[in-house]
Amino acid sequence: MTDLQPSLAFSLTVKSRPFVGWFLLFAVAMTLFTEASRLALDGLAPGFAARYLIDGLAPRGVFALLGGAGLGLAGALLQRALRNPAADPSTLGIGAGAQLALSAATLFAPALITEARSLVAFAGGAVALTVVLLLSRARQYDPVTMILCGIVVSLVCGALSASLILAGGDYMLSLYLWGGGALAQDGWRDAIVLGALVSGAIIAAFLLRRPLALLGLSDETARGLGVSSGAIRLSAIIVATLLATTITAFVGIIGFVGLMAATLARLSGARTAKAQFLAAPVIGAILLFATDSLVLLIDAVFETSTATGAVTALVGGPLLLWLLPGLPQRPAAAVAVAFRRLARPLACLAGLVALIVLAAVIALLLEPDGAGFLLDIQAVAALFPLRWPRLLAGLCAGAMLAVSGVILQRFTANPIASPEVLGISSGAGLGLAALLVVSPYAGTGAELAATVAGALTALAAILAFARAARLSPDRLLLGGIAVASLAGAGVTLVMARGGPESTRLLDWMSGSTLRVSAGLALGEAALAITLVPLALVAHRWLAILALGPTATRGLGLSPRKAGTLMVTLAAVLTAAATLAVGPLSFVGLMAPHLARTIGFARPRSQIAGAALIGALLMAVTDTAARSLAFPYQLPTGLFAALVGGPYLVVMVLRKPR
Amino acid sequence: MNAPRAALTRRRFLAGLAAGGFFLTSARASAARRFAVVDWALLETTLFLGLVPVAAPELILFRRLAVEPDVPRSVADLGLRGALSFERLAMLKPDIVYGSNYSAWTAPQVETVAPLKIFDLFQPGEPPLAKIEAMTLALAEDLGIAQEARTVIARARAELSAHRGRLSATKQRGVLLVDVGDANHVRVYGRDSLFGDTMTRLGLENVWRDGTRYSASAPVGMEALAAYPDAFLIIVGPVPPDARAAILHGALWQALPSIAAGRFAIIEPCNAFGGLPASLRFARFVTAALLAEKDGAPT
Repeated sequence: MTDLQPSLAFSLTVKSRPFVGWFLLFAVAMTLFTEASRLALDGLAPGFAARYLIDGLAPRGVFALLGGAGLGLAGALLQRALRNPAADPSTLGIGAGAQLALSAATLFAPALITEARSLVAFAGGAVALTVVLLLSRARQYDPVTMILCGIVVSLVCGALSASLILAGGDYMLSLYLWGGGALAQDGWRDAIVLGALVSGAIIAAFLLRRPLALLGLSDETARGLGVSSGAIRLSAIIVATLLATTITAFVGIIGFVGLMAATLARLSGARTAKAQFLAAPVIGAILLFATDSLVLLIDAVFETSTATGAVTALVGGPLLLWLLPGLPQRPAAAVAVAFRRLARPLACLAGLVALIVLAAVIALLLEPDGAGFLLDIQAVAALFPLRWPRLLAGLCAGAMLAVSGVILQRFTANPIASPEVLGISSGAGLGLAALLVVSPYAGTGAELAATVAGALTALAAILAFARAARLSPDRLLLGGIAVASLAGAGVTLVMARGGPESTRLLDWMSGSTLRVSAGLALGEAALAITLVPLALVAHRWLAILALGPTATRGLGLSPRKAGTLMVTLAAVLTAAATLAVGPLSFVGLMAPHLARTIGFARPRSQIAGAALIGALLMAVTDTAARSLAFPYQLPTGLFAALVGGPYLVVMVLRKPR
Repeated sequence: MNAPRAALTRRRFLAGLAAGGFFLTSARASAARRFAVVDWALLETTLFLGLVPVAAPELILFRRLAVEPDVPRSVADLGLRGALSFERLAMLKPDIVYGSNYSAWTAPQVETVAPLKIFDLFQPGEPPLAKIEAMTLALAEDLGIAQEARTVIARARAELSAHRGRLSATKQRGVLLVDVGDANHVRVYGRDSLFGDTMTRLGLENVWRDGTRYSASAPVGMEALAAYPDAFLIIVGPVPPDARAAILHGALWQALPSIAAGRFAIIEPCNAFGGLPASLRFARFVTAALLAEKDGAPT
């Protein structure tokens, strides 16, 4: 491959056509911005119009340019440092972590938020990124795994933010926290601070360009050349995190701009570290400026207020879909923990059943505030009609999520794969969001229908994408990630509208079993009784599919047909469970792992074991969630995620021994 | 105050009587009923009527955001409005539970404990005060104290009329009513909100021309307010600390014609989805703010 000469050559000689293209886009954006400003100023009081142009629109344009440059540079730095072409502050959980920290600080330490907003955001983003990196360490920082972990962490942070907003109770006001990504400015202060930061970061990136270029080779070579790879990577990551979190602190999450900028820089011919650190900020600036000018124009015409950050994510999601299949694969680590195999799996299953019965009895007999047990049969009878539906629904949903998780993890041979990251749940959320926009009080029946329709649409999209690549497991995961990002952006746009639909969406996202009626509980039970045995029957397919397409065909099974059936089964299981416990329990991630750790090694026993463990987890968390802060209830799904998050970290930290 | 108003009152009272008379005997018998509420508008209304529910939702936030009326300690907290603790409700065993259309979703669970009665209060495009008055009367009839309801409704109207009378001395008629999300975004209350409808009864004009959704508009940029240079701007609390700083010192807010001329007020928190008490609390603050402006001292 002909390596390009450094930056001048990049911009002037070798690839002049992309340069012209970018300049044209900038010119278009400038025209849009001017036109939007003209419209926005129209009809305003004259004295205010001048001030709005000087202290509102002008700094907004500058901030868009600077923010885009900062995000573009952050994307390029992260991609270099992590050797992951899909790295971006939003795909690595940095934005979501920063936003969670900001939400928490707004509710619990309002003084902190006025004094040290950027610092709070940086702390949150840094913690989230650290978790993602620790999680992906077990798989040698394999790019796909890293993005999966980023999505998992983003989802957990999003669920936590949603719950904080619900718990804060100040729904309407706090939704602004969620909407995010609005670039409106009041004066020049933020733009100036960001300008200084971006300048500093560009200088830092240039100092780091040579060592980072060496890292591109491989760790061993770099070490041979006398570069401490750890320190270099860390510096680059810290600079990128600082950029991304400061921007999040000022205007909220601006999704995927870094990813788009760095990718397009590469496609425009910037291949060296230096060229990328020059081109990515320029392209990022143009992209965000163009997007924001378009949003400004839309807002001026329709007199609304649209979240620019969600719009960039709407564009970036499909880009991810197109980009991810080309990601380099790192060979999967041999499973480090030697799983012991149970001598008597049946006895162990019986033990799990006994535990479930115990958990169910406790769930039915516990005092509402968890302080003791109900001794009065009348009280038990009074609470029974309220308790059995959520208990039954929780048990069934837990089992179905767990089985779905086993199928996906076995099929993709990726331990981080789970129904939560497949995009099915996000699709369900988007279906609900669409319904609530059209009709906020449509009722439970319509909501169920919309959720199922959303889940099935997402499934169809993922399958269509994966089938184009002969249903390769990685393609499936990537399709899921892209669909999840797209649906997430759509949900954010709806959420930013405010109104009762936002509250309902938040409520659904946090995964409360509270609204489960007797009918829904029985429906869940019927689905679980039908679908879980189906998975048990198909366990042989899972074992065969794991041998690879050639062996599968050799054994007389069409890998494509069998794969499609298994994935569809997993998706239907997920959709069914999501109806009861929301999208984010992470039981589908935890239960299969726990089952393996206990020693359910073969597909059939792992399915059975995971189903029981999933049911048990849900029953226990549901009881805890409703009793701990009585009468204020914690959302069950979220509470399970709170248990699941630390579990994930511990599990992964333990592995590489 | 004026003829159409009085006629309206009489007509509504007669309608209320006709509806209530049907259940008169059963209502009287239930005067000592133990009831719970699952909505703040109903909580306000029962307290306003001098009744104390056995349980009501989210009292911690209610005491902070709605403030009035004072909630007695004996009322049990039911937890978040969006995640009610049905178990506490079941343990308290009320005879009947009241809610608004916002709490209609609780029906399947609540009805395993006690009958649930839902009042349709807040619908997009429909001014809510008349419905709130009708609800107050119907609720009182249900609990056997219809006469009290007539008294408090009349009292509330008299109070609004008194405010209206005091306001007629001021020149300011056009008002913009917003709450503030962050330093750059606001939501505007329309005529179909409790606050907007209360303003109508105060004889004030809500000058916001564009549509609203569910009582308030979707978030709009604060610059939209500059299209109404002559309006008096009322900002309903609570205002986030950074937004308050922006309003008082930010270049853009200070350039808004209303703010520059001192034609604005930040009033204390009021419950946007409340009952007559919230309406009166709001009316009191607005009247005080507008009268203070007449004296040339913006609050």
